[in-house]
Amino acid sequence: MKKNILVLLVLSLFLTGCWDRRELNEIAITLAMGIDKVDEGYELSAQVVVPSEVAMNKSTGRSTVTLFTARGKTIYEAFRKMTKDSPRKIYPGHLLILVIGEDLAREGIADSLELFSRDWEIRSDFFVVVAKDMAASEVLNVTTTLEPIPANKMFNTLKTSESAWAATNGITVAELITDLVSDGKEAILTGIFVTGDLEVGSSRQNIESITPVTRIKYDHLAVFKKDRLVGWLTERESRGYNDITNSINTTVTTISCPGGGKAVIEIIQFESVVKGDVKNGQPEVNIDIKVDGNIGEVECEIDLTKQESIKELSKSYEDEVKDIINQTIDTAQNQYQTDVFGFGDALHRSNPKEWKKLRDHWDQKFRELTVTVKVDVKLHRMGTVDESFLEKLRD
Amino acid sequence: MGFFWSKNKDKSKPAASLQSNENELNQLDSLKTNLQVNLQKIKDTLGKSSDIIIREIRIGKDDSIKAGIIYTDGLTDTPTLNNFILETLMLDIKGIELQKKISPEQNFISVLKDYAMTVGEIKDLKNFEDLFTGLLSGDTVILIDGFAQGLIISNKQWVERGVNEPTSQTVVRGPREGFSENIRVNTALVRRKVKDPNLWMESKIIGKRTKTNVAVMFINGVANEKIVDEVRKRLDKIDIDGILESGNVEELIQDAPLSPFPTVFNSERPDIIAAALLEGRIAIFVDGTPFVLVVPALFIQFFQSSEDYYQRADIASLIRLLRFFSFGIALLAPALFIAITTFHHAMLPPALLISLTAQREGVPFPAFVEAMIMEITFEILREAGVRMPRSIGSAMSIVGAFVIGTAAVEAGIISAAMVIVVSITAISSFVSPTYDIAIAVRMLRFGFMALAASFGLYGVTIGLIALILHLCSLRSFGVPYMSPLAPFNISDQKDTFIRLPKWKMFSRPRLITPQNQVRQVNSGTAKPAPEKK
Repeated sequence: MKKNILVLLVLSLFLTGCWDRRELNEIAITLAMGIDKVDEGYELSAQVVVPSEVAMNKSTGRSTVTLFTARGKTIYEAFRKMTKDSPRKIYPGHLLILVIGEDLAREGIADSLELFSRDWEIRSDFFVVVAKDMAASEVLNVTTTLEPIPANKMFNTLKTSESAWAATNGITVAELITDLVSDGKEAILTGIFVTGDLEVGSSRQNIESITPVTRIKYDHLAVFKKDRLVGWLTERESRGYNDITNSINTTVTTISCPGGGKAVIEIIQFESVVKGDVKNGQPEVNIDIKVDGNIGEVECEIDLTKQESIKELSKSYEDEVKDIINQTIDTAQNQYQTDVFGFGDALHRSNPKEWKKLRDHWDQKFRELTVTVKVDVKLHRMGTVDESFLEKLRD
Repeated sequence: MGFFWSKNKDKSKPAASLQSNENELNQLDSLKTNLQVNLQKIKDTLGKSSDIIIREIRIGKDDSIKAGIIYTDGLTDTPTLNNFILETLMLDIKGIELQKKISPEQNFISVLKDYAMTVGEIKDLKNFEDLFTGLLSGDTVILIDGFAQGLIISNKQWVERGVNEPTSQTVVRGPREGFSENIRVNTALVRRKVKDPNLWMESKIIGKRTKTNVAVMFINGVANEKIVDEVRKRLDKIDIDGILESGNVEELIQDAPLSPFPTVFNSERPDIIAAALLEGRIAIFVDGTPFVLVVPALFIQFFQSSEDYYQRADIASLIRLLRFFSFGIALLAPALFIAITTFHHAMLPPALLISLTAQREGVPFPAFVEAMIMEITFEILREAGVRMPRSIGSAMSIVGAFVIGTAAVEAGIISAAMVIVVSITAISSFVSPTYDIAIAVRMLRFGFMALAASFGLYGVTIGLIALILHLCSLRSFGVPYMSPLAPFNISDQKDTFIRLPKWKMFSRPRLITPQNQVRQVNSGTAKPAPEKK
């Protein structure tokens, strides 16, 4: 009996297992990849970390990453072709960010994403971004400061700004694919672009000065219809998009004071609920937004000790948010005609039966959709001073 | 394999030859009446051993009776011999009319015994076997011409180590005394702690040639009678020429000789033995070694230090958890490191992966070989440290620290991370309060490393399953080795992974002492009751 169990255990070792043994110095860790459209198919770029340059004590001053590119009819073909150039097999298990070139995005991204959802080595939690007005390989070819590995810088910048600034939105590949296959929501991705001289950007010289000549920045949201990029939202509209889809963690909003001048509301809690409804056969969407905020900055004449002024500021904020949202919805409805907000999904949830009828010509219906926005803001604190010193300055 | 096994089973041949040799000795049988014949036989049997002193004297009125005094130089207390035996025989009893008192001849010896010898322990002697056993364990033998019997006077005395602080199982708080090589001293140390009349001790002589004194000690009524019987049976079965250390006995009576895990506990601390006896365990003392055996021994016992019970319960529990944790590290750390860095890169955070990769740049060996080099180097250093003369110790520690630590990394042969892993493994293996379990881990570690290198975490998992199956299949003198974990016993959990305060420990371990469970009836803290107003 005991022997049988032992035999069983030994045999089970050969049933399955982890046969793909690779030493650490036999793999090329890539943290960022890019896909571009070229004539013969795709061009895949992989930004591979040079470990010895990242390690504190061994650094010799050379670049911390190196870029391998390969072309192929399919993504996988290009991926394997990289070994023609790379001494080690590219290991994508820790991929942090995937950059898609705008040209490819305009032609459709679905085909190129298939590998990333199928391959067992690749996780599904990396961010996907679109290179605005440039090729993905150009974005991956810029050195960065503070974070020695550009992929880390791209990943962390997106993560930080996503939670501290309302106009960016990190979309993982899993979320992207969910959006792509959903009937009632179109995909959206954050834009990434490089400012400054691309030539200088690829060298170490770029980060030797205090102000790097070439920088990587996030801005704008790329609007998709099916899997094709149809246009970009401005920063203000991006902000509106995040307001609607409840993707705001904290942010600040500049509003105008009742008597002229500016004030800033710091949002500490933001919740928006999108509810669909069908009335008389016509779809409707209600957006209910509840905000908790603080007064962050006051650059105008207002007496904050009065209840009235707080109410006025709240009103001003509500108007501002409504304005942003309406403008965003207007752009989506009329300019791009694509339901990036997931209003279709909201209707699907609230009125499943009606949705079946609406689904087939949702594009049309979306353009005529009535959207009601309700904003309710509560201002709590106003910092360490009641009255701004600017008051006394003006006296 | 089959050949090897069959060879092992064939134990009868050497045993038979030993038997024939033994018979030779038995032929000496009983003493003769003629003193010269007896002395000649002693001389013939012992060869010309220079430490055997044979003194022929004349005693009684007119020095008419011939007598022989035989003793082993070095094992006998010479002042006693001179003052109380030789002086008595040769001077004190000269004037006495011995002849008259001893009208029936055979009584002369008993007269000597009853009236003359001023020493404590004295025994009649009838045959040569007793003679040699007594003589060689330090007793003095008196033979009188004309009598086929003699006297054995116990005046053993030899140079021995005193009661010193034990070198293994050291504690910060707790008694500092340790067992010595003398079995009497050792049993006395335990009896001094447990003054219960039910503390029983049974002695046996084991070893045909060494005639080693072995004592089985238990508390009657607390220890499981069946286990005591089993111990007796196994000890009686031992048929060997020599027992030099309790390790010899352990090997001959343990349940699973092929298992790396010890099923017999040992200690050189009287307090641990006393505590074990109180739990209903059985102690086996072996003469000539400070290490006393305890059965039944359970897996968790090897993680319990005596200090756990002298310290506060809370810190004792935390430290005990730490021991189990470091047992895990000592067993698995290199294996997990190998598995993760060669198979499961996705399990590491990116920053750590890059840092480890950077360290491995330029390292010529696979992680497994690297780990083996480091582990074997460490084992060599460790073995050398134990065996070599103390005075060279510092030199070796310099070389060891330098070779393992700095030079290997700087030369690029070994990655720094591997040094960290091997070091923490090494340190962890020393955390265990008993050496025996650390040895088991030390051996198994290499097996796990090989599994990890060839099958990754999957192999490690299979290895762990096999290990747990093996542990659960073991028994120590009928008690499941993994109890009270498997079979699970809720009341015994009070002293397994954690130790509850003493006032919460009402009962003894259930499987060891099924019949006498109660340790304390009504307990509680000594906290005074609140004053009533």
